[in-house]
Amino acid sequence: MARPTLEIRELRVGIDGREIVKGLDLTVRGGEVHAIMGPNGTGKSTLASALMGHPTYEVLGGTATLDGENLLEMGVDERARAGLFLAMQYPAEISGVSTANFLRTAVNARRGESDPMPVLKFHRQLKEKMERLSIDPAFAERYVNEGFSGGEKKRNEILQMSILQPRIAILDEIDSGLDIDAVKIVAQGVNDMLSEDFGVLIITHYQRILNYIRPTNVHVMMQGRIVRSGGPELAEQLEARGYEWLREELGIEEPLSQEA
Amino acid sequence: MASDTLTFPTRAQVEAVSGLEPQWLRDRRLEALEESAALALPMSKTTRFADAAFVQAGAAPSAPEVQAADVPAGVILMDLREALGEHPDLLQPHLLTVLERKNLLHAQHAALTAGGIFCYVPKDMELTGPLRATLNFTGDAYYAPHVLFLAGPRSRCDLIVELVGEDGTSPAINGAVEVVAEEGAQVRYIEFQRLPGKAQGHWPRRATVGRNASLTWILNDIGARLQVADTRTDLIGDGAESRVLATFFGGRRQHFDFRHVAVHVGQHTASDTQARGVLQGRARAVYNANTVIRPHAIGTSGWQHEHTLMLSETARADLVPELEIDEWDVKAGHAASAGPVDPMQLYFMMARGIPEVEARRLIVYGFLSSLLDSIPLAEVRERIAQLFHEKVEV
Repeated sequence: MARPTLEIRELRVGIDGREIVKGLDLTVRGGEVHAIMGPNGTGKSTLASALMGHPTYEVLGGTATLDGENLLEMGVDERARAGLFLAMQYPAEISGVSTANFLRTAVNARRGESDPMPVLKFHRQLKEKMERLSIDPAFAERYVNEGFSGGEKKRNEILQMSILQPRIAILDEIDSGLDIDAVKIVAQGVNDMLSEDFGVLIITHYQRILNYIRPTNVHVMMQGRIVRSGGPELAEQLEARGYEWLREELGIEEPLSQEA
Repeated sequence: MASDTLTFPTRAQVEAVSGLEPQWLRDRRLEALEESAALALPMSKTTRFADAAFVQAGAAPSAPEVQAADVPAGVILMDLREALGEHPDLLQPHLLTVLERKNLLHAQHAALTAGGIFCYVPKDMELTGPLRATLNFTGDAYYAPHVLFLAGPRSRCDLIVELVGEDGTSPAINGAVEVVAEEGAQVRYIEFQRLPGKAQGHWPRRATVGRNASLTWILNDIGARLQVADTRTDLIGDGAESRVLATFFGGRRQHFDFRHVAVHVGQHTASDTQARGVLQGRARAVYNANTVIRPHAIGTSGWQHEHTLMLSETARADLVPELEIDEWDVKAGHAASAGPVDPMQLYFMMARGIPEVEARRLIVYGFLSSLLDSIPLAEVRERIAQLFHEKVEV
């Protein structure tokens, strides 16, 4: 298969009738690591959720395609099976469903009924990936995310990504609430997958995680749009100087506290 | 209240039911009959007792068929009527003494009880497999059966009771269960209520748990048009424990009215109630749970968890958890919820590529599994899972 391509054009997204993402353009290809940075409430997470098809968000205009297929016409599960993955900020807890059972169902949903993964092979793979991410193997039999700490949930998201092998992954604030060791483990999970067949979009407040996952492209999002794009040096600049200088340079007046 | 309930039963009916049984039981019946004049139906905002068939029935009670599996030597498991003839001394101290008479239905049951199951496990006997008995309600009759389960000191035993009937019949049942777990006994009472769809049942369960004894109620309700079942466990002895693991699956226009009460009397007693129900169609469940901690019951813990999942917009659940605590040195709490499948759980699973129908199935079955995983008997777990799959359409 050709290199994956996520292509977003003039995308507008709203919630409760309020427009949050106001015409956004972005292309992420296999082998690329894009970071979207920006202050709180600028629509970064809204973008991620809308791409995955979160029921609360409404796409008001524009297009989003994965490998040329229209994502916006697909159901949430179809987007996932097409190769899109979203590591969520607040993944749900599923009582009574073990992590292993959940993941095996997800793997087989993608492979199709005629080609289920052999059980032993799946468990071997799961065990390897869990070790790699320093996740206690006992978690395989625990209910999905139930009683997990914030850090454990984030690592579990990365575990799901590495098992499901998506073509494009969006990591929505995967680093928030993690200590530095956990950030390194998460970064390693992402780096392990980097290839021409895999593209990543990292959404973050902080530059810290980008010390461990080297971005190819950095974008700054403000007021629902990408206002500046550059290379890794842009992230460093933001880390050193904050967002204020950019706001001034662009003539944007926006209180930091506005939530989306 | 309809006038016929005020005169039901008559003394002649009670004496006819009593027949040739021991005098002490006849005395208990007549005492209950006398009390019934001053008693009313249970007060309820959610269940219309006045219209219930098990109240209105004015006929003499029929006795259900009892099927009991073979038991090891020393253990008794038989039709309660036969037991009255063969083992009156074992029954006399307990029969109709654990069930209080707080309302008219309790008194009517005591006055008219006919047939049922007697189970006795002598002291120090440890059984490896469960005892099994079935109550079969064979017709459109009025029934007032009784289950008496006596577990001697330090015994270990499990009793599985099935309530069944013929499809299409509408038995009206005012029964009762009494369990006595004596000092150090480890007892599990397991019940599968699979009554026919038009059955109406009033089914109080009562237990006393002695010093360092433990009783686990494992209850599964899928049958009946109307089933009112309240379970009360009195933790009398110090160190007594009780557990409720209840599941119910309702559909069509079924109405369940369940109540679980743990009364902590002894010190360092523990109770834990976990209930999970799934409702579809126009089914309705009322769920009360109460933990009562009496003065001086120090070091006790009482927990309640009741959760109901509603698969249709027309299903309804009312959850009423309560705590009555008269002692400071205790740990107690409750959690209750009722609602449809969480759309965020659904979204999360679908975002991993699982189609909606399958995701919903996993979530609903997971909802049940998290309770099933606490049931210590594999056979019972599998049975409940099977009943779930037969009944619930996800």
